[in-house]
Amino acid sequence: MNNILNYASNQLRISLSDTSYKLERIPEKVLQNYLGGVGYAVKVLYEELNEGIDPLAPDNKIIFATGPLTSYQVPGGGSIEICFKSPLTKAWGESRCGGDFGPELKKAGYDFLIVEGKSTQPVYLFIHDNKIEFKDASHLLGKKVSEKHSIIREELQDQDISIMCIGMAGENLVSIASVMSEDRAAGRGGAGAVMGSKNLIAVAVKGSGKLQPKKTEDFNIALKEVRKVLKESEFVKGLRQFGTIGDMAGNDAAGDWPTKNWQSNSWGKAEKLYDHYLKHNFVKNKMCYKGCPIACGRVAKVEEGRFKTPQHEGAEYESVSAFTAFVFNQDMDAAIYSTYLCNELGIDTISAGAVIAFAMECYEYKLLSKEDADGLDLSWGNPEVLPILVDKIAQREGLGNLLADGVARAAQKIGPQAEEYAVHGKGLEGPAHDPRSGKLLAVTYGTANRGMCHIHPLEGMAYDSGKVTWGMTSYGVPDPNQLDRWDEEGKGTITKTLQDGLIMPDVLGVCKFFMYAGLTLEHYAKLLSALTGWQVNGADLIRIGERINNLQRLFNIREGMGRKNDLLHERVRKLPQFGLYQKEDRCAIKDYEGMLEEYYQARGWDSQTGIPKQKKLRELGLNLV
Amino acid sequence: MKVKVKLYTILKKYAKGKILGDGSIILKKGATLQGLTSDYLAIPDSIGVVFLVNNTPQDKDYTLCEGDEVKIFSLICGG
Repeated sequence: MNNILNYASNQLRISLSDTSYKLERIPEKVLQNYLGGVGYAVKVLYEELNEGIDPLAPDNKIIFATGPLTSYQVPGGGSIEICFKSPLTKAWGESRCGGDFGPELKKAGYDFLIVEGKSTQPVYLFIHDNKIEFKDASHLLGKKVSEKHSIIREELQDQDISIMCIGMAGENLVSIASVMSEDRAAGRGGAGAVMGSKNLIAVAVKGSGKLQPKKTEDFNIALKEVRKVLKESEFVKGLRQFGTIGDMAGNDAAGDWPTKNWQSNSWGKAEKLYDHYLKHNFVKNKMCYKGCPIACGRVAKVEEGRFKTPQHEGAEYESVSAFTAFVFNQDMDAAIYSTYLCNELGIDTISAGAVIAFAMECYEYKLLSKEDADGLDLSWGNPEVLPILVDKIAQREGLGNLLADGVARAAQKIGPQAEEYAVHGKGLEGPAHDPRSGKLLAVTYGTANRGMCHIHPLEGMAYDSGKVTWGMTSYGVPDPNQLDRWDEEGKGTITKTLQDGLIMPDVLGVCKFFMYAGLTLEHYAKLLSALTGWQVNGADLIRIGERINNLQRLFNIREGMGRKNDLLHERVRKLPQFGLYQKEDRCAIKDYEGMLEEYYQARGWDSQTGIPKQKKLRELGLNLV
Repeated sequence: MKVKVKLYTILKKYAKGKILGDGSIILKKGATLQGLTSDYLAIPDSIGVVFLVNNTPQDKDYTLCEGDEVKIFSLICGG
């Protein structure tokens, strides 16, 4: 394999229906307009999918997308985006995963892997540079994720090969099924079910190419600058030392910890839970890809007892919060075990915790009987039922079958009262951040293209409470220290600019944490310019980000969405029912519609329908799409 | 005026040499939470912090009282 020049400029298109593949060159102009990751992927899916297709039919396609900066050489470059029409939301689906898969796919010579059709038999793909093989995967069915990894590595006689696979949940077309790369998950939106629907059980990839920038000297200078920023970053040191779970107590105190199915935004228990984790569960930190300078991953375990759990990479903030605060559970060992089980069965931990919390509330209000619950006691915080329900969801067994399609569809089946307890945005269950901690999060949740997720809307929380600027003040975003986190005026306009800038990590193929660590669009523009020989600056990246956000929006509009789907659940707008902020009137959301109106104005979208105006589309070059 | 102060995660290093062994700090009467973080602990503005005083959320302009128990959290903002 020859060295690859910055972009491989290639996409590998796999047809599972007739076990064929072809290599396609990508025009440079297209890459300049959409770059990669979720940007290039939305262009392909918008153009190649028909409206209204069943996400689990062979018509759907799944794209494994790297970005131009996906590489072991670029800090944060261990990244892959999976893009698809979501079976959970029936809308734009994307899911990111850290690890070696992205860099290895790029080294194999492919920027994008597009998988279409459906195999008649379970298969896995083996990609080693230009060698592509379809391999029988019948013997992998029903195996845990770690077993699938071991078996594939044994068969390929390569213990180092990078693998993404589905678990039992994906095989059973669970709408909240993840795609796993070891213990790392492309969790949100049901990518695992899309793979399962295609009988695609895994993809194993290894490459031997090497990144070759167009302007090597400029690239090395830009890299040196980036490394200096990271070396001095408090965020890098903090995340390495404490991991994402280190935020638990702070978020609880900030009113940013959705508790008891969003009845409150704080609980006051996080400090105690975190102390237990430090004493009994934490083993060490871990890199998700070779050479990550942050190494935010945690290795955790439960030494003994009924929730005994082997050492594994887990104990992430979102996952643990979903199985503690969401479900009102004070047993950290049960949470660690349940999240481990989610990973082994290939289920999104966030949606799993959320849908169990929803079931517990339905049980409390007798919308679900003990018989409906398969004889389980779904009382709030009962740690015993958590792993049982995870297993039932993965198997689509009993109550698990109802919960396997997420809170929105479960509520539709249970009845109108259940809607009150089904907290989601566009069908995606909310993560462990609460807009009652800062109002920007309300707008980012309501308008995010994939729904109420923990990646794109996170800038809302980080801006309002964390006072993170990401260097975006150069583009008209006010200094967050000058604003109150509970102010509503102005937040709609700020959201627009932040969304367009902060989508870039998922477009360029890098981990978003590196922007939190102090890297800015200018840093990325310098790297990209040196890599490709193009002349790109930060403002150009924002413009491209705006184009991508609008095209994702058009994808959703084609599926029948619009302003009516830019919702924030009523429960999340109200004062919490208990906790530290119960009497803090400022945290309730007073005028969500006003913030949304301001956002539409800033976006150049019709305020009645939420559809981008023709003028805006022309400006972005999307009128020809 | 003596108040108790507890710092979390990345803020712990700002306690060194400023917070006494019993977890307390001596402040001038009338000191606010903003004054505590900027003037006494020298926590940079770029780090977003949240305060609990006697386990109740308080804004940075809150005026501290003798015997208050202050918890200061940073938000790493990951995950």
